[in-house]
Amino acid sequence: MNWNLLSEVLISAVRMATPLLFVALAELYSERAGLVNIGLDGIMAFGSLVGFLVCFWTGNPFLGVLCGALGGVLVNMVYAFCTVTLAGQQIVYGMALNIFAPALASFIYRVVFGVSSTLAQATLMKTVSIPVLKDVPFLGKLLFDQTPMVYGVYLLVIVTAIYFNRTKSGLNYKAVGEYPKAAETMGINVVLHKYIACILCGFLAGMGGAYLTTCYVNTYSDGIVAGRGFIALAAVIFGRWSASGVLLACLLFGFFDAMQLRLQVGTDLIPYQLFQMIPYVMTLIALTIFGSKIAGPKSKGKPYYREER
Amino acid sequence: MNEILRMEHISKQFGDFYANKDINFDVRKGEVHTLLGENGAGKSTLMNVLIGLYQPTEGSIYLHGEKVHIESPAQAVRLGIGMVHQHFMLVEAMTVMQNIILGDKRYKGLFINHDARRKEILELSWRYGLNVDLEAKITDISVGTQQRVEILKALYRGAELLILDEPTAVLTDIEVEGLYSVIEKLKSEGKSIIFISHKMREVLHVSDRVTILRAGKTIKTLEASETDGKELANLMIGRELVECEYRKAEATGEPVIELKHVSYNKASKHNGLNDVSLAVRCGEILGVAGVDGNGQSQLSQIVTGVTMAEAGEVVLKGCRVSHMTAADFIEKNVSHIPEDRNRMGLVGNMTVEENLLLKSTQNCAFCDANGWHLKKKAMRAYAETMRAKYDIRCQSMEQEIRSLSGGNQQKVILARELEASPDLLVAVHPTRGLDIGATRYVRDTMIEARDKGCAVLLISADFDEVLQMSDRIIVMFEGKVMGEYSGKNPPIQAISLAMAGK
Repeated sequence: MNWNLLSEVLISAVRMATPLLFVALAELYSERAGLVNIGLDGIMAFGSLVGFLVCFWTGNPFLGVLCGALGGVLVNMVYAFCTVTLAGQQIVYGMALNIFAPALASFIYRVVFGVSSTLAQATLMKTVSIPVLKDVPFLGKLLFDQTPMVYGVYLLVIVTAIYFNRTKSGLNYKAVGEYPKAAETMGINVVLHKYIACILCGFLAGMGGAYLTTCYVNTYSDGIVAGRGFIALAAVIFGRWSASGVLLACLLFGFFDAMQLRLQVGTDLIPYQLFQMIPYVMTLIALTIFGSKIAGPKSKGKPYYREER
Repeated sequence: MNEILRMEHISKQFGDFYANKDINFDVRKGEVHTLLGENGAGKSTLMNVLIGLYQPTEGSIYLHGEKVHIESPAQAVRLGIGMVHQHFMLVEAMTVMQNIILGDKRYKGLFINHDARRKEILELSWRYGLNVDLEAKITDISVGTQQRVEILKALYRGAELLILDEPTAVLTDIEVEGLYSVIEKLKSEGKSIIFISHKMREVLHVSDRVTILRAGKTIKTLEASETDGKELANLMIGRELVECEYRKAEATGEPVIELKHVSYNKASKHNGLNDVSLAVRCGEILGVAGVDGNGQSQLSQIVTGVTMAEAGEVVLKGCRVSHMTAADFIEKNVSHIPEDRNRMGLVGNMTVEENLLLKSTQNCAFCDANGWHLKKKAMRAYAETMRAKYDIRCQSMEQEIRSLSGGNQQKVILARELEASPDLLVAVHPTRGLDIGATRYVRDTMIEARDKGCAVLLISADFDEVLQMSDRIIVMFEGKVMGEYSGKNPPIQAISLAMAGK
């Protein structure tokens, strides 16, 4: 493999990893507050549609991303109300999002564009190169010639790491996911934290969805999310519920995604579907190896009600 | 003397059930006021009302003479009320220091000022004699130390009124002494303490005043100096309590189960067995004494077939057990009162009746066609007999078992396990968390089973229980058997030393 090819695959890996990273961070914030949200795929689908529509109408991809994120928050509030206020089963409502949100997105798309064979196209977000740094050989193009979304997500990884490891507020936030009753007796508002977690989760997952239609391809189609929400879910487990771990996991999954794309181009003999499997197979393998150990926030997945006896 | 807390006419209702009814209670500055009552008397509920975890259905709370409405634990903390819960409110994945500063709102700023906080906490711990390693993780420290962290946590938040909910339940004798001195220190600094307990001895030792609760109501408030254990016990259970002593078994029969040089997870001091040999004979109770977490759990799992020994031999009724499951042990008439009744002994969401029959689903008295059809009527009739025979108090047989009190849950397990007249009964902490009445009942029933010829292996962290009931006693320490002693006039001093590994 020559330098150019490697560089190409890596650049593609970074691009593939970005939406995963947004969504994995969304899940990290959710699980750290004890809420396992498996509805990421649904939130992403809705975010990708809203992002696309706004971008299509206004021609402004940034506005598209913002609205996609807000759309994600809106959808996730259903989950928040059911799991926090009504203390319902998280898996059930997560699954409900997965069924409901993509269907809603698909419905809205057809209402707006009708059923036609031509795809509506919107503007793609332009890359912003950082002067000087982008000319560093090899790394320059990889790290400093990307869309602002990519810079944003890496900044977010750093902020998240600092937040959870260094700040008072981050400590309180983690306590909610570990032992909500203890947090409550320490004067931490558990319900408020869980709602904040849902807002953050919806926002970031919606953003991850909108990235797909504003930075990655310039159209919306059903199934565009393609299970990325579940891969992000795996990335959180693989990354041991830490920001840096999640970053590594997403880059790894992104790399496999880029590699399979590259391999598809390279050969005619092997059906391309086989290569398409690679990221999902890697997810399975990662979960088999790392998912078995009990880890992560202790009360994740458990409903919390204060007056429980 | 100035009063700092007064609770008037407090009632708390859960559904149709009153956990607290018209309770009056007050605390003065610098005193230890004990709330005494059996399990389910409403002590914890009352305290949860005080710290704002529950909202009272009726009644009012006065702090320093002013009426307050405590809506959340956060507010209770602000008002200077700190509680050390029976089940510790500590985040295991975090360090001692992180747990103490959790939720602290007194200092502004985004980041944690570690040095300043550490200095402040160390000062407090020195002042009250609460030594802890601030950097240790909660999972790595002993239960006694965890309790010190809880007290420190409350003091760090400026608690003036400290609630200790059954603080000695989880401590060893030495740790209890340490707790007493901490309480003295707190009193001398002018803090007030609400002490919750159902152990007479310690109540008389630490309290200034005692309030007795029974069935959710206040019975009486007494000066500790003007009462004695007997009066308190009678008030608490509402009838005369007769001290009892069990007769020790004279002759014993053949061994029912024998362990020969059994090891399991040898490397672990707290979760393994190391070269354990013992035998339990017909018609005797073999008591296993020792501080919790010295291999008792593993022992109980091996003698009931839940796990298999890694080395050594297990002989059950003369056959060597090598590949047997828990089901095979049950087939061989081994009964098990597991250590955690909620997790291992019962299915919480199933009814009382169903739990009673968990082991009898293949019994043709209760089902046809190899268990494909259950005979509901026969099941009901059987359950009703058990209810009468074992004095299980519940609203109906259809009630979910988790809504029963601990004592009644234990009676359901006893009924299920003893009705088969087992050859071997393995009872692990059979009276843990039970009140006096229920404890007495469980012990009587086990003695009765022994007298019928059942071999009983009693594993308990309650030393008094082991002494009272056992015909022979062995002591476990770090997975090893430290020695065997006679149950008749046991050498208490030697056994205590063995429990500490000496």
